[in-house]
Amino acid sequence: MKGAWDEMIGADGRARAHCREYSDWLLAQGMDRLEAKSAEADALFHRFGITFAVYGQAEGTERLIPFDVVPRVLPQEEWLLLEAGLKQRVGALNAFIADVYDAQDILRAGVIPAEQVLCNSQYRPEVQGVAVPQRIYAHIAGVDVIRAADGRFLVLEDNLRVPSGVSYMLENRRMMMRLFPELFVRCQVAPVEHYPEVLLANLCSVAPRGVDHPTVVLMTPGAYNSAYFEHAFLAQQMGIELVEGQDMFVRDDILYMRTTRGPQRVDVIYRRVDDDFLDPLTFRADSTLGCPGLMAAYRAGNVTIANAVGTGIADDKSIYPYVPEMIRFYLGQEPLIDNVPTRVLRRPDDLAYTLAHLEELVVKEVHGAGGYGMLIGPMASKDEIAAFRARIIADPARYIAQPTLALSTCPTLVNAGLAPRHIDLRPFVLSGKDTTIVPGGLTRVALREGSLVVNSSQGGGTKDTWVLEQGAPERLDA
Amino acid sequence: MLLHVRHETVYSYAEAVRYTIQALRLTPRREARQRVVSWSIQAPGRRIEQVDAHGNMVHYLTVESPHRELRLLVNGVVETDETDGQPNSDALQLSPLAYRTASSLTATDAALAAFAADAFAGSDDLRLRLLRGAQAVAAAVAWRPGSMQASDTAISAFQHREGLCQDQAHVFIACCRALGLSARYVSGYLYAGAEGSVASHAWAEVWLDSLGHWYGVDITHARPVAGQHCRLAVGRDYLDAAPVRGMRRGGGQERMQVTVLVSNSPQQ
Amino acid sequence: MLSRTADHLYWLARYLERAETVARMLEAEQQLAMLPRPAESAERSRRATLMALGAHEFYDTRAPGATGDVLDFLAFDREYPDSIVSCISRARENARAVRGSIASEVWETINATWLEMRTFERRKGAERSRNLFEFVRQRSHMIRGVHVVAMLRDEAYHFLRIGSFLERADGTLRLLDARSSSTAADQGAIDPHEWTVLLRTLSAFEAYRKLFRGAVTPQRVAEMFILRPDVPRSLRRCMVEVRDNLHAVVSSTSAETERRAGALQAALEFGRAEELLPPLLPAYLTDKIEQLTLIGDGIARDFLVSEAVA
Repeated sequence: MKGAWDEMIGADGRARAHCREYSDWLLAQGMDRLEAKSAEADALFHRFGITFAVYGQAEGTERLIPFDVVPRVLPQEEWLLLEAGLKQRVGALNAFIADVYDAQDILRAGVIPAEQVLCNSQYRPEVQGVAVPQRIYAHIAGVDVIRAADGRFLVLEDNLRVPSGVSYMLENRRMMMRLFPELFVRCQVAPVEHYPEVLLANLCSVAPRGVDHPTVVLMTPGAYNSAYFEHAFLAQQMGIELVEGQDMFVRDDILYMRTTRGPQRVDVIYRRVDDDFLDPLTFRADSTLGCPGLMAAYRAGNVTIANAVGTGIADDKSIYPYVPEMIRFYLGQEPLIDNVPTRVLRRPDDLAYTLAHLEELVVKEVHGAGGYGMLIGPMASKDEIAAFRARIIADPARYIAQPTLALSTCPTLVNAGLAPRHIDLRPFVLSGKDTTIVPGGLTRVALREGSLVVNSSQGGGTKDTWVLEQGAPERLDA
Repeated sequence: MLLHVRHETVYSYAEAVRYTIQALRLTPRREARQRVVSWSIQAPGRRIEQVDAHGNMVHYLTVESPHRELRLLVNGVVETDETDGQPNSDALQLSPLAYRTASSLTATDAALAAFAADAFAGSDDLRLRLLRGAQAVAAAVAWRPGSMQASDTAISAFQHREGLCQDQAHVFIACCRALGLSARYVSGYLYAGAEGSVASHAWAEVWLDSLGHWYGVDITHARPVAGQHCRLAVGRDYLDAAPVRGMRRGGGQERMQVTVLVSNSPQQ
Repeated sequence: MLSRTADHLYWLARYLERAETVARMLEAEQQLAMLPRPAESAERSRRATLMALGAHEFYDTRAPGATGDVLDFLAFDREYPDSIVSCISRARENARAVRGSIASEVWETINATWLEMRTFERRKGAERSRNLFEFVRQRSHMIRGVHVVAMLRDEAYHFLRIGSFLERADGTLRLLDARSSSTAADQGAIDPHEWTVLLRTLSAFEAYRKLFRGAVTPQRVAEMFILRPDVPRSLRRCMVEVRDNLHAVVSSTSAETERRAGALQAALEFGRAEELLPPLLPAYLTDKIEQLTLIGDGIARDFLVSEAVA
């Protein structure tokens, strides 16, 4: 897309200051070498089994998420801004969730219409009035950040339910260090490998009151889940049990796991199972992934669930437009990182504007995920726009609209050599007793030329994300 | 009036069950207009008490020794006041808005939405419209006790044209929500006279915004809830308020037998 | 450790070992096929292999008339759950389910083996099984080696070991069973070559030469693989390992299983070679295979099956 910010190359066609070291190195590499390294990476990912199973296909069709050997590089001062902005944002989001399930001050104050929250399908009445340790709900937040054409960062989406992708942040780094050890000598890249330790410390800090040495487990839907690799990886790196619902049971409001030496009490669950499937006695009765009675133990305060039940209320696309207001309401601060300007189609004037400008806007369904229920105006055909228009008119409250943003680009190895491709960034914010962000994140890249869709389910790939420890100050070339 | 309740549930299994956990909503809600005179639940295993988000009393029962049968026996006496539909000023835990969104059991399709728009029309007094709506639901989904299983959802109950009081309540609630009203499901007991055939019962409550309280409607009988009703639990639908919701490991085929007696005097 | 994790580890080890057993059996079959002997005898021997693995019924439904290629069936049939390819797939599935509990090098080695199996599968005709058995044997050595050097001596390790040795004991008995019943079917006309081949496929020919002088006899081979404590694949050796590892994970409910394992080990310790004379051997083997099955069931009940109460 014209006018997109390039992460590596400045407007003058030269490498940006913080990238110069890397870019000199990159230009000295032959294409053959990069391609050979790329092939080596694929073979290694296959061997490590960093793959996900594709349903409905013959055995052995396990896919890799494509990995690009060119990293995205962030200078330290930009990272510091991001870090501060994300901590602020996630702090406000946690305050919001805690408020919704407690006194509901923000609704009373009329900052967000009560029915927007309480009639939302992501609101969980089951946990109304349940106190959680430290008032933290979103212990792990994956915030999707993009960079607009003017170089500013904007938040595109908050992922507060079961955000995934952090294993790729760690594995991509490991892979880069294996493929290009010489680079890490030249460039001062901040390490990320301590993430599992930080995560475990974070989970321990939200154990139920009075538990000094909590037993923490990671709850997975099982080996057939597409993110199973990540679940197993994180459990192993933290040295905790990887449990399924069937491994646990509840007795007298206390949660146990079944071990070879009998029942063992569980204090903290890092769950990678959606709310709906956690407990068939409370949520979907047909869930075979959950543990019956878990919510009784939770309500009794005997187990911490991370992320807490009900966080979906804060990352719903219909609530997203209110996040800047939350920051003002709870923290009394101005947002350090803005939202993407968003039109809420339940408002008549926003609806009218959107219907008149469909071919230039991105329209998103509020309860959708994964990039399916979405219209990207500039990329859509006349028929697609007409069909989407009908859906919007039938139920405007289901949609929001945003300008089509020129996501920033980064050089990427493609068939024709190195070419710019659009990227976003998902850093992972850990909240507990403290709030921590490991310097880096998951950079997703839209591999098709011109595409703005970075989701792995839609042909996106990933890159290593470098935060430089002492980046030369970026000169904004006018 | 005084309601004497005896409610027995017996589960029998083809094979031994290794572990059972059940959430029992079998205790009358603590409310100003109904007072428990005496109440007991007899059941095997261990039990622990909790109040859920809807304000219902829940007992979590676990049985961990192998069993082929599980018997729950509820015995008690409750004193109720005449209510004319207005239940209780129970401490409002949840906003009425929480009961306005369709749940999976109370979703509507085009046919049901059209029915709602038609059946609940016609008066300025919301209470009258609700009673009229109840009448229409009771006519559209005929009450067929005993002989059949409950439908899962309001949509399928509406298609079958017959069902249990649970199905009627779901259809009624689905209609209310489709019309933008907050409505909730109530499970409880009903004293239907000496010859009455309903004992374990379900009905609905609708939020009257102008008056600031809930209004109970017995859909099966198309009338406001009264002193013959004893409220066990409320929720967004059956799943929130079911008298027993359970899971088990092992056991194979299950058979369940329920007998409920509600009378206005002590009995054998 | 989670009961389910122990279960996956145990079966992971069993399937790997089973793949190796089947590979060794087929290797024996392949070598016997090169000996000059009558067609009926070769057919009987193949049949005996199928029977010993408990695969004959499935094979018959697969290949009416039993003229199908036994070798290809036992190596590559994905629908037969104990073919080499199925065993490796199942081992890998179990490993995948507990990849957090095994050293990552163990997982990678198993995963790489599974990936390479597919290159064998893609080949055509007789080419398919060329070097396959050697490949499986070597991978099996490698995985064993990796887990012995890379894994903590914790419960995970012990459950892997229990699975390995129980399955190996079972495999040894079945290999003997295949040969002894095929020999019996040849009306006692003992073909010493068959037993030599067996020794070679069990990597034990050289050991036999050290232990015994003179010709290879069925009785001595049986004695070696059942009673000798110093023969690594012998039933007795395997039971020592099973017991030691079982002892390391005892729980309040496992007393009976320990007793059974101990009883079998004692019977072997005080067993006499005379019990293994060719006419007695088939019944002896059947009895011991049953005892192993009971011990396996006990382990599953005590440690693996998810029970609510301890």
